[in-house]
Amino acid sequence: MDTIRQDIRYALRMLWKHRFATFVCAGALALGMGANTAIFSMAEAFLRHPVPLDEVNRLLAVVDSKPRQNIEKTSVATATYLEWQEQALSFDRLGAYSWDGVNFTGDGTPQKIQDFRVTTNFFSTLGVQPHLGRDFLPEEGEPGKNQELILSYGLWERRYAADPKILGKVVKVDGRPFTIVGVMGKGFDFPMSAEAWLPMAFDAKQRVDRDDRPLWVIGHLRPGGSFEQAKAEILTIAQHQAAAYPDAYKDWQVRVLPLGEFATGDLTRQYTLLLLGAVGFVLLIACADVANVQFARVSGRQKELAVRAAMGATRGRIVRQLLIESVMLSLFGAALGIFLALWILSVILSHMPPDIARYIAGWKSIHLDFGAFLFTFGVALASGLLSGIAPSLMSSRTNISETLKESGRGASSGRARHRLRSVLVVAEISLSLVLLVGAGLLVKGFNALLTVNQQYRPESLLTLNLNLPELQYPQRSVRATFHDRLLQSLSSIPQVQSAALATTVPYGNGGGTDADRFLIEGRPVEQREESRTAIMETVSPNYFAVMSIGLRDGRVFTDSDGDSTQPVAVISRSLASRYFAGENPLGKKVQVAGSKPEVWLTVVGIVEDVRYNWIQKDALPTLYRPYRQNPTYYTTVVLRTDDNPAKFTSAVRSKIAAIDPDLPIYEVKPLNQVITESIVGISYVAAMMAGIGIIALVLATVGVYGVMSYSVSERTHEMGIRMAMGASQGAINRLVVGNGMLLTVIGIAIGLPLAFALARALSSLLFGVTASDPFAFIGLPLILGAVAFLASYLPARRAVRIDPLTALRYE
Amino acid sequence: MESNGTLIKMEGVKKVFYTDEVETHALEEIHLEIQKGQYISIAGPSGCGKSTLLSILGLLDSPTDGQYWLNGQPVSKLTISERTRIRNREIGFIFQAFNLIGDLTVYENVELPLTYRGTGTAERKQKVQRALERVGMAHRLRHYPSQLSGGQQQRVAVARALVGDPLILMADEPTGNLDSKNGEAVMELLRDLHRNGATICMVTHDERYANFAERNIHLFDGRIVDETREVSVGA
Repeated sequence: MDTIRQDIRYALRMLWKHRFATFVCAGALALGMGANTAIFSMAEAFLRHPVPLDEVNRLLAVVDSKPRQNIEKTSVATATYLEWQEQALSFDRLGAYSWDGVNFTGDGTPQKIQDFRVTTNFFSTLGVQPHLGRDFLPEEGEPGKNQELILSYGLWERRYAADPKILGKVVKVDGRPFTIVGVMGKGFDFPMSAEAWLPMAFDAKQRVDRDDRPLWVIGHLRPGGSFEQAKAEILTIAQHQAAAYPDAYKDWQVRVLPLGEFATGDLTRQYTLLLLGAVGFVLLIACADVANVQFARVSGRQKELAVRAAMGATRGRIVRQLLIESVMLSLFGAALGIFLALWILSVILSHMPPDIARYIAGWKSIHLDFGAFLFTFGVALASGLLSGIAPSLMSSRTNISETLKESGRGASSGRARHRLRSVLVVAEISLSLVLLVGAGLLVKGFNALLTVNQQYRPESLLTLNLNLPELQYPQRSVRATFHDRLLQSLSSIPQVQSAALATTVPYGNGGGTDADRFLIEGRPVEQREESRTAIMETVSPNYFAVMSIGLRDGRVFTDSDGDSTQPVAVISRSLASRYFAGENPLGKKVQVAGSKPEVWLTVVGIVEDVRYNWIQKDALPTLYRPYRQNPTYYTTVVLRTDDNPAKFTSAVRSKIAAIDPDLPIYEVKPLNQVITESIVGISYVAAMMAGIGIIALVLATVGVYGVMSYSVSERTHEMGIRMAMGASQGAINRLVVGNGMLLTVIGIAIGLPLAFALARALSSLLFGVTASDPFAFIGLPLILGAVAFLASYLPARRAVRIDPLTALRYE
Repeated sequence: MESNGTLIKMEGVKKVFYTDEVETHALEEIHLEIQKGQYISIAGPSGCGKSTLLSILGLLDSPTDGQYWLNGQPVSKLTISERTRIRNREIGFIFQAFNLIGDLTVYENVELPLTYRGTGTAERKQKVQRALERVGMAHRLRHYPSQLSGGQQQRVAVARALVGDPLILMADEPTGNLDSKNGEAVMELLRDLHRNGATICMVTHDERYANFAERNIHLFDGRIVDETREVSVGA
């Protein structure tokens, strides 16, 4: 211990003595470690703590999937769930929830609430109890008796000012009376974004329904039960179900997932891993930089090390001492990195719109915790060892007696050292190119997203959502009349060019879309080669014009497409090409599967595709229906305005209140904002990757500069001889720059195939990214080459200024 | 081999350096015996192999061929770590360029061999103090080498060589970087150490200082070509 203390003391002294190099190295490491710590904290939140539940490790999600249609996870049918609940012994509780959305009225401003219908054992399955009041009772899961609700802590605070006497209060939910029986604890919002929970009751018909899939099933493992046992058991039950009801379960497969994995989502996982990999690369580049500086520093200390060896220091002891220095340097970098990580996280957290953050599992758990500190400490140790090991080992092999001579330079390992440093620079350039290409492609893809959305001219569009309560708007005609009045009223607002309706606008609902099945007249389902699904939109006739969605063939809807006229549909270009390839779809008849009444719709027009989110690379087939023929409860209103759309919010609110004062409107936002919030996740990834790419470029440049600069000072004597022999300044310049560029070209040549592999992976993830992007594979290597040229040129300039006489005396 | 009074024995030691397909024969057929308590100088022209011989004697290097016994132990075929251990315990070095570590204080420089030996703090402190007192540098414990004159630096280097109570002191041109006054002082110091029983092996090209030793060995082209022994020691 005593000797280690000595080594530490000496290491600190040496780091202080070479302050400039110390700060440069610590800065490089801080960039790498800060980025790693920040991304690690995010990964920890997303991948390890996506659900803030104590029992999360005993909780599983059981979902349906349909690989043939690329459906990786979806909810399950009621009958399926009830049979699992009855037969599965691996779980002590098996609960379920379904998404819902209700209007709170009668006790203040009407408000749309994100609620979930849950089975009465839902909270006990999750292992949580209300903060106030009680859980649902089993009998509250029976039809007609499910008139209670539990509030989230946030809603209780916001809408009811945290009233401690809230229990027993009756509120109107979609016009029906519900009694508040509980308030959940602060921070509990499972499923994500929940503001209230209402008991779910199954009627006799639902209990045997295997077609409609509304339920997300959560199970709590029995004590001693394992994930594998539960999975095997559920799969066995599912096999029996499939055997008993082959039609209902054809092509469907059950998946059992840990709740954390279920909550995180595949995209978050993929992009988190991508960022983790990218910052890992940055750290490697930083380590290579520091290793190069360490090489230079220990080269200048050959004599000292030889003296230590002469005094009896073993090779291991010398290596240990140098490694301690290197680790101390890393720890210093880590300390700076922690501050950098704190800053990065604060920037990330503060810029995320709350409306989006509440839908990201684990977002609330993002912080620098003990785990992050431990990670940073581990990374610092690893970086210290990684950057110090090669210089230490090489230096400890110095020829002692030669080095100790008065003029001895101990250059025996100089060539090997130079070779290794060159290898490090080549590796740095390769890794930097990979990161640059990755960053370039993501930024380009992101820009493509922004560009493609310009077709809607979103800057002058205002969108808002309405959800008509079933109780007040039971009949189609009532809903259609409401929509007629609504459009008329909103169109009359000054400076509003037009008002339109649609079920979902591009990027609405956070980009979430649901595709439903449809039938084509004359083509039996059995003969289908693929499932016919499309996004079902109910729109007003002017929707296409308001959104600038071009007509390709036929006609769009008109005001005369009403309830009493021929039922019609307009289809998107991708639907036409996918399901009517080689034929004219106009005049063909389609039917939305399960629609009541069953109506065949005549296709009267084909319109351009609409991009609903950034996730799908290919356009999604869409089937449009006129709102008068299919008046929906849930509607998005779109207003094209002459001014900043946000200015029209209060006018819109008062117009709608004049029609129905109890109807809440929500998500009132300019389309610009809707799009921005919807792509904020990928914009974060793109921005972070761009930052990582720039850091990589800077670090690689420092690496090239460092190596070339050191090479020049190491070869001063040689330069002197060359100049004495008549070498021109240009020749010296070419010599130095040539060496630097050789390393750069080798690095780029190695990096390009790696970058191409990354580009292929990215192109499958994001719209607008192509694996053969010329900017990425020609432009970025050229930029890297140019920067490396500059980094070599500066030391070269110094070399040509060497006075041959001085250089010849230089040892 | 019996140790008796013989501290060092070399038989047929050769050293060949191989660099870029060129063989350089630095030492040829060296036969040498040094008794405990002897003060021996190795002299010869530049490039004759003095320093190479001293490096092998000091276990900084190993011979290409031949046998070498130190205190009765064969040491010509030792591994690097064995050589390091023996060097640390049995040999003290004094270099022409002092080779003090600039970033260590006088105290830390002197304690270096003891640190690598694993000596405890208290004993280390005591020994360092004593060694520095012996060379008259105990008052400069906290100074850095750059704050000392050349002569003072070499005295510190001598203290460092002495601190571990080695069997033999190896001095490579100890006065080479000193003016005559400081050179004389260092030589006097070595003579005092010898009088007190130290075995010293010194490389020098300066005849005046070679005569401080009781045995003078002359090297030429890597071979011992002459040896003189003096009955009395003095300048």
